[in-house]
Amino acid sequence: MKIAGVAQLAFAPERAYELMQDPAVLSRAIPGCEALERTGDNEYRMKMKMMLASFSGAFEGKVRLVDPQPPTSFRMVVEGSGKIGFMKGDGVLTLTAKDGGTEVSYEGDAQIGGTMAAVGQRLIDTTARMMIKRFFEKLAAEV
Amino acid sequence: MLTGTATYVDDIKMPNMLYAAMVRSPHAAANIRSVDISKAAAHPGVMAVYTGVDIKDVGAIVCGVELPGMRKPHHTVIATDRVYLVGHIVAVVVAKDRYVAADAADLVEVDYDVLDAVGGPEQALAEGAPAVHPQWADNIAFKFEQKGGDTDAAFASADVICKQRMISQRMVANPMETRGCVASWHAADRALTIYTSTQIPHLARTILAGMLGLDENRLRLIAPEVGGGFGCKLNVYPEEAIVSFAAMKLGVPVKWIETRRENFLSTIQGRGHVDYWEIAAKRDGTIVGVKVKIIQDLGAYFQLLTPAIPTLSVLMMPGLYNARNIHAEIVGVFTNCVPTDAVRGAGRPEATYGIERMVDVLAAELKMDPAEIRFKNFVAADQFPFATATGLNYDSGDYANTFTKALDTIGYKKLREEQATARKQGRLVGIGISTYGEICAMGPSPAVAAGGWESATVKVEPSGKVTILTGISPHGQGEETTFAQIAGDELGVPIDDVLVLHGDTSIVQYGIGTFGSRGTAVGGTAVYLALQDIKEKVIRWGSMLLDSNDVRFEGGMCIDNASGKSVSIQTIAAAAYRAMKIPTHSEPGLVATRFWEPGNFTYPFGAHIIHSEIDPKTGQVEIKRYVMVDDIGNILNPMIVDGQLHGGASWGLGQALWEHAIYDDAGQLVTGEFMDYAMARARMMPWIESSHTCTPSPVNPLGVKGVGEAGTIGSTPAMVNSVVDALAPLGVTHVDMPLTPEKLWRIISASQPEAN
Repeated sequence: MKIAGVAQLAFAPERAYELMQDPAVLSRAIPGCEALERTGDNEYRMKMKMMLASFSGAFEGKVRLVDPQPPTSFRMVVEGSGKIGFMKGDGVLTLTAKDGGTEVSYEGDAQIGGTMAAVGQRLIDTTARMMIKRFFEKLAAEV
Repeated sequence: MLTGTATYVDDIKMPNMLYAAMVRSPHAAANIRSVDISKAAAHPGVMAVYTGVDIKDVGAIVCGVELPGMRKPHHTVIATDRVYLVGHIVAVVVAKDRYVAADAADLVEVDYDVLDAVGGPEQALAEGAPAVHPQWADNIAFKFEQKGGDTDAAFASADVICKQRMISQRMVANPMETRGCVASWHAADRALTIYTSTQIPHLARTILAGMLGLDENRLRLIAPEVGGGFGCKLNVYPEEAIVSFAAMKLGVPVKWIETRRENFLSTIQGRGHVDYWEIAAKRDGTIVGVKVKIIQDLGAYFQLLTPAIPTLSVLMMPGLYNARNIHAEIVGVFTNCVPTDAVRGAGRPEATYGIERMVDVLAAELKMDPAEIRFKNFVAADQFPFATATGLNYDSGDYANTFTKALDTIGYKKLREEQATARKQGRLVGIGISTYGEICAMGPSPAVAAGGWESATVKVEPSGKVTILTGISPHGQGEETTFAQIAGDELGVPIDDVLVLHGDTSIVQYGIGTFGSRGTAVGGTAVYLALQDIKEKVIRWGSMLLDSNDVRFEGGMCIDNASGKSVSIQTIAAAAYRAMKIPTHSEPGLVATRFWEPGNFTYPFGAHIIHSEIDPKTGQVEIKRYVMVDDIGNILNPMIVDGQLHGGASWGLGQALWEHAIYDDAGQLVTGEFMDYAMARARMMPWIESSHTCTPSPVNPLGVKGVGEAGTIGSTPAMVNSVVDALAPLGVTHVDMPLTPEKLWRIISASQPEAN
């Protein structure tokens, strides 16, 4: 599944970039995130709860930030698995100054498997978009 | 099922019974680095956890088919070092109840090294595709070729050649009752009893005994009431062996009931074809040759009949037509998907769909009426028995007569006129024809993997009540009624006096089972023949009791032709068991067993016509009329026959319009429940106008042909032909199934940009 979109933040790219590298901020902003801890340079372990269609489940996984180019771009690689299946995501986020704030554009690939794919496929696209929207809303509230 | 009193596998409860839950791979292809069962094993209520290493002495899944040069994967019942499909079992948890078992199954930790997977048959053949089985460089399991006549010459002589690529999508069998089994070990006599939801009790016993290393006669397999099979229970699955293994290890009964989600993932599916058809004809519509290249998605490994299914498509490819030159090639390919196998029609629907679509494509090319081109090419009534270019011998038929009846019923000529008027108004009205044939009553033993005969025992009890033991295994086809009717007719006893037993290998003599529309045509014939033996015995006993050499048996009575004195079959039965005096060359009792080997398949056929209209605003197809005229030989029970036809049509229309088991490129099944997999519901089904013609089959003394698959096979091409006909004014010549509103709406919108 391809994921792409644009979000607006009311603060400068430097600040936006910094926020998106902060585990405390990310754990507040990622929908369903229950724990996020740094395990190494640009590597985090994450626990999250995901709700999809008629079921929900806990995920454990890791997040890696690759190719950091502060404050203009970085690549995020997410891998998680749980009882309801697994997910893999890989995308590039690009930050551009715009109208005194930041425009974040993102583009990537996500793959899901297991029960989540078998019974949640029809909703995964909208669920992903909703989660991304919420993420940026929470991030915007971090000023 | 209707009265709620039948006993299905899940109704079986035994003292101390444990429950099994399978741990299944979420990945379509992965190496297993490790399986950690420690947390699951320590979970309260868990009695055992087994992995592939623990169960390595249990034999691999059995495939009963050999094709020349075929690659046959060795598929163990639990994966050890690699998984090949989503749903592949990697461990089993046995616990005190099913909820504990399911919870503990979630605690088994499997470390996977995920690999690239193959999610479809054409991907499997693509350059650089990952190898499903690492020991083989490509994904081709086998190639198979069959020729009849001289296709090259035929195509060279043709005025017109039409080509079309067609997909017969993957379908889920979806019986109302999912799979399930209960195994119970009796240590004292080293014997295992398995209750399992199967169509083939005796074959399953033979196969499971082999896998488990048990003597066949120490394994009692019971198919209790079975809530539908549709081919998917014509198989022996890993779970049956795993549950048996656990019961033998633990010494207590173990039950496993498949969930619906497991059924979608792990029970064989049907179809999975990408076909390239070519038809060659003269300008006047005479078909001179047919070619097809079939790419069959076999799945990740072979279940019982997996590789055989596309070969049935080849046999059926000429349809009802005088096509003397055929050429078929099959490429069977591995994918990281659940295996395909025999489901509702098994191979014949794909071929019938192909040839019936191609005849319409040809008619459109030649600007001929699709009815006219069919009449032109039918095998004629005086050509039977008819040897086909694919090596079959069609038993009997009058195709033109049946088709004429269907055309008259729907008022074809007038309907075409109405269609022309509707088209002028811009309406999308279609008339779709399918004149289908099929191969039934499977079948002669040389043509069926495990033998194609069937057995029956008829026991007239001392009271005159009649017990029939049949080797088939009815699971909704109603032979409990049909066979009682046969016995009632032959012996002159009330139907209520007849009990039909089946499905228990300790009660019933060896049999083959129920599939391939064979129940009544093969199993019923064995019953009929055993009844003839009983009648001979009855006459012998009657002669003695009446002290006459000139008696007849009629209406349940032996009658002395000279005096008119008579004695009933009930009195004769009592005398036969009391045996105070025994007729010469006779023995006590009134029992007969017959095994019957058919000399040929049977070849039912029919004509289905569907009048439909598409709503251009929504793409929704409305079936306005559905006329089916089926010739299945003699009919023993009209209500059962029509029930079978209607049920079959619901599946065939499902394939045409709604159903599709979709795997994504990574081998993930993305239609894993009824929210995503659109099976036909009652309100989606049209009113069906069903009638019959009758050309009795000469293959069996009942003159029956078989009806279990006819509705499925006949309906799909009629539906698609109707929709394509409706879209013909837009220049559409083919649409691949399923014909969902979205797909049709896009086609309509693209061709009428101004309307949107």
